[in-house]
Amino acid sequence: MIKLPNPNIGKVSLLVAILTWLALLFVDITRIFSSINQMESDVLPEISFILEIIFFITVYLFYNYQISKSENNDFLNLIWRGASTGLIASGVSLLISFFYTLLGDSKLASDQLLLNFFYHVNFALITLFLISCSLLWKHLILYQKSKNIVKQWQLFEILMLISMFFIFFNKNSLDYSFLFGLVIITIFSISLSFNLKWIPYLTFKEKWKSILFLVIIIIAASYLFGQLLSYSESSLILINLTDNLFLIGLFSFVFIYSIFSFLVTLFNLPTSSVFEQKLVEAINFQRLSQSIKPGQNENQVLDILIDSSMSAAYADAGWLEMLDDEGKSIFIHERFIDKEEVSKLHQHINGLKPFSNFDWEKPYNENKVFQGKIDFAPYKSALVVPLTTNQTTVGRLYLVKEVKDAFNKEMINIISTFVGQACISVENYRLLNEAIKNERYKEELKIAQRVQRSLLPDTLHHDQSFDIAAFSVAADEVGGDYYETYPLEERKFAVIIGDVSGKGTSAAFNMSQMKGIFHSLVQLKPSPSEFIKKANVALGLCLEKNHFITTSFYIIDTIHKNITYSRAGHCPTLYFKNSNQECDYLSIDGMGLGILRSALFEQYVHEKSFKYEKDDVMLLFTDGIIEAKNDDGIEFGYERLKNTLKKNAGLSPKQIQEKIIEEVYSFIGQTTAMDDDYSLVVIKFN
Amino acid sequence: MLDIKNIKEANYSTLQLEGEVDASNSVELDGAIQSVLDEGIDRILVDARQLDYISSAGLGVFMSYLEEFQEKNIKLVIYGLQEKVYQVFVILGLDKLMAIKSSEEEAIEELK
Repeated sequence: MIKLPNPNIGKVSLLVAILTWLALLFVDITRIFSSINQMESDVLPEISFILEIIFFITVYLFYNYQISKSENNDFLNLIWRGASTGLIASGVSLLISFFYTLLGDSKLASDQLLLNFFYHVNFALITLFLISCSLLWKHLILYQKSKNIVKQWQLFEILMLISMFFIFFNKNSLDYSFLFGLVIITIFSISLSFNLKWIPYLTFKEKWKSILFLVIIIIAASYLFGQLLSYSESSLILINLTDNLFLIGLFSFVFIYSIFSFLVTLFNLPTSSVFEQKLVEAINFQRLSQSIKPGQNENQVLDILIDSSMSAAYADAGWLEMLDDEGKSIFIHERFIDKEEVSKLHQHINGLKPFSNFDWEKPYNENKVFQGKIDFAPYKSALVVPLTTNQTTVGRLYLVKEVKDAFNKEMINIISTFVGQACISVENYRLLNEAIKNERYKEELKIAQRVQRSLLPDTLHHDQSFDIAAFSVAADEVGGDYYETYPLEERKFAVIIGDVSGKGTSAAFNMSQMKGIFHSLVQLKPSPSEFIKKANVALGLCLEKNHFITTSFYIIDTIHKNITYSRAGHCPTLYFKNSNQECDYLSIDGMGLGILRSALFEQYVHEKSFKYEKDDVMLLFTDGIIEAKNDDGIEFGYERLKNTLKKNAGLSPKQIQEKIIEEVYSFIGQTTAMDDDYSLVVIKFN
Repeated sequence: MLDIKNIKEANYSTLQLEGEVDASNSVELDGAIQSVLDEGIDRILVDARQLDYISSAGLGVFMSYLEEFQEKNIKLVIYGLQEKVYQVFVILGLDKLMAIKSSEEEAIEELK
């Protein structure tokens, strides 16, 4: 298969257009020669007409391609292209005329060949100008196009295409059919010329420029049209290419649209500032509504707010009054006024009605606006808009002007909208910050939780004489329950369980103190009562006066199968005796650590010891288990715990612990939240 | 929920506790005791007949005043504790340090 190179429409059409023009010229010259030599001319005028049509279409294609390819298609640039083409065409045409004036009455001036050549040059330039202009107008007309406009334009193009062929019927005579065609095209042009939606989008300066360019186009079109008329009167032109309905119709279209654009642009000049203002307001609104980006702060929003409001109201001065953290007023973002004057003016304004009606505490300041006369030279009127976030008033926007009653309804509306949007942005910013802060606190608590979990032992010391299992869960992120074991001697173990008063973070801190004290004191290998006494002294120095710690301390001697213990206000340990299959709480008096911080405490410390037997079970726990409540407000209680242990005493310590926790959870039910920490230590003797 | 009523008598004040004292409202109990003390009253009865529960934080409030009461010779007597609540005081050993009576008459007697 032969692969055709992808033809470049622009280049191809340009080439064809040039060739066609040369052909036109050649045909004409042939015709001149035959007429000079009085030869029978066999070149029909239709050949010229056909070439002319081909020329029109190729020029159209060329410009169409050029404009659609061009990236810089703003309105002003488009109009400038039309104007520049017009300038070139007129300039060349002027040069030709000038050339003829120079020739005067010389023989060359009436030379048919030269005249025809220049005629062809003029024809080509006029065609280029008109077609390029029409295509530029097409772009302008189809700006913000609707289906109807597109259809209308397509119909116009078809009409113009037909008008190209009109020449075959009419032979260049100015008859009624020609006039009829021209009128139809003119009417169509007028109806298309109402599509001027691009004009409002020009800025004030651009409008002036476009007026200038349009004037150039109008002058160029008028001059070229005059030039064209003078040719049609000349007898030396053999085939008139320019008295063509297509060209005349295009003239009419280009001219009418230019005039319309010129007039509408001119009359739009005074209102263009309003349109520009609205556009700026829309952009400001968008800037305000964009949520504040990271690294920015609410100050930036307030900065945009004051600038937008100032420009919307054409205010002469303005500032913001914001409440700081202590509820004191501070002035920020003063515009065209200094701080000293602001505070004077501020006092003046707030002494006057209606401004004095404002109350920071009122909950319905949102959407309220205060405006009125003031008398503080040079300012004569003021507008005050409260800024509210979350129904509390956080500040006020002040605008003043040097004219009386200078704030109209539209200004107030737009400023209220600005203020509302700014407040939303500020509120969002504050909420976001709070969320970030909360997130950080949560992170910190998670770290605290990890640290605290690590304070509870992973492994519990024991030997082959007993097995041990433990469990702890906190109601909050961190808790105040504590248990630990320590090998005092080869077959002697210390076991402790403790519960810090209160809960949460403070309890967790005190629990870590308790751990420290335990680890220090066990090094001295104290008896249980010695441990309790020394721990009370130590804790008395560091606990807050309304805090205390309850604890039970056990020493298990596996050589003598002996347990010695002391209790310091902690809930009594449950003991299962395998020999009689009975469960009982180990009763012993004792007072919580830190309750009595003097030597008097020692009289309340007691110590007991007893022998354990095989398969006995000792259950150490914290009061969270006993006080766990179900939906009806009933506590799990000592009795239920006793029965649970009794039922499960045959199991391993781990299983016993699981059974008890299971029982507690099923008792309180799924819906009830834990409100205290639960801890268990289960010891079973072998 | 905790409801505290302060009832003034000729030579003493009664704090009537109703509901539960836990970590979240122990501050209220502390405030009530403090305000009675601020009035210069040195004989306080605590009517705990309607007290259903007291947590360690609540016990901490009573505990924190023990020393001050002893120094300034202020008497605080609790009466009418429900058995379950009383056990909490006993387990902690607070019954040894505080005057706890079963009836109002005994409590008033204790104040003298």
